[in-house]
Amino acid sequence: MKKWHDSEKEKSQKGPITVRDICLIGIMVAVIEVCKAALSFLPNIELTTFWMILFTLFFGRKTALTVPVFVLLEGCIYGFGSWWIMYLYVWPLLVFVTWLGRNQESVWFFSLLSGVFGLLFGFFCAIPYVVIGAWDGGIQSGLYAGFTWWVAGIPWDLVHGGANFLLMLVLYHPVRNVMMRLQEGGPFCDGQ
Amino acid sequence: MQENKNRSKKELWFGALFAVVLVAVLVAVYLAFGAKPVAGSKEITIEVVDKEAGTTTYELLTDAAYLRQAMEEAEGLTFSGSESEYGLMVDTVNGERADYHMDGAYWCFYVNGEYSNYGIDTQPVMDGDRYTIRYEKAQ
Repeated sequence: MKKWHDSEKEKSQKGPITVRDICLIGIMVAVIEVCKAALSFLPNIELTTFWMILFTLFFGRKTALTVPVFVLLEGCIYGFGSWWIMYLYVWPLLVFVTWLGRNQESVWFFSLLSGVFGLLFGFFCAIPYVVIGAWDGGIQSGLYAGFTWWVAGIPWDLVHGGANFLLMLVLYHPVRNVMMRLQEGGPFCDGQ
Repeated sequence: MQENKNRSKKELWFGALFAVVLVAVLVAVYLAFGAKPVAGSKEITIEVVDKEAGTTTYELLTDAAYLRQAMEEAEGLTFSGSESEYGLMVDTVNGERADYHMDGAYWCFYVNGEYSNYGIDTQPVMDGDRYTIRYEKAQ
C-alpha cells in the first residue's frame, strides 16, 4: 500500500513556495469556504476540520500557509469579532497536532482526532473570555467568564465532536483515494 | 512490524477511551454547572369563583408582566373571549360561559379584593397579588 509520506511527497512539501503552491493554497481555502457555506444551516456541523486534517496530511507545510489565508478571509467575510481571535490559534493548533500524527494511516485515529477537536473546540475558544474577564475584574472574574461561556456551549461541543468523528469516518477513505490519484499524476504533483 | 501494529492499536484504544471520558466529563460539567431554568420570581394566586360560587384556586410562581400571561401559565385554568382594543374580553373561564346579552352575566376581575380597572392584557402582576375571577350578574 502506498504511503502518504513517500519521498516525492516529502520533497514536494519541503521545496520552495511556487506559483503553483499559491494557487493550491487558494483552492484549499476555496474548498473550505464552499463547504462551510454549504453546511452553514447546520449548527456546529462543519467540514473545515476534515479538510484541515486532510490538507495537512497531504500538503504538509503548505497547509500552514492556508490557515492564515483562511482566517483572514473569515474575518473579511464575517467581521473581526472576538471569535476571530480564537481562529488565530485554534486552527493552527489542529494543523500542528495533525502534523505530529502525520505517520498514522488509520481512519480511526483521524476520526478520533477530529472528534476530540470538536469536543474541545468550546474549551479552546473560551480562552479570550478568560482574558477579557480578567482584564475587567481580575483573574477570578476572568476564569468565571471563560468557564460559564464554555459550559453554556457544551451541548454544541458534543454535536461538533460527534459530527466531526462521523464525517471523518465516512469521508476519509474516499477523499484520500481521490487525492492520492490526483497526486500520482495530476496537477498537485510538482514537476509533472 | 507486528509490534508497531500492536502499539498503534493500543494507542487507538487509548484515544477512544480518552474521547469517551471526555464526553462523560463534558456531560457531567454541563449537568452540574449548566444554566438551569428557574421558576418565576413572583408568587401569585388566581382564584376562580364560578356560577355556583364554587372556588378553584391556582397558586403559581411567574415572571409574567401582565395577568393574561400569568393566567396562561396557570396549570388547569382555561379561558377564552374576544379580542378588542382593550385586549382580551374574557367570556368563558374553565368552560363556563358568561353571556351578558342573554342574562347580564359577565366575568368580573378583582385584584386583592378590589375591582380591577384594567383588562387582563394591561393588569400588572405584582408579587403576592391575589386575583379573583368571579362569575357575576349585572343588577
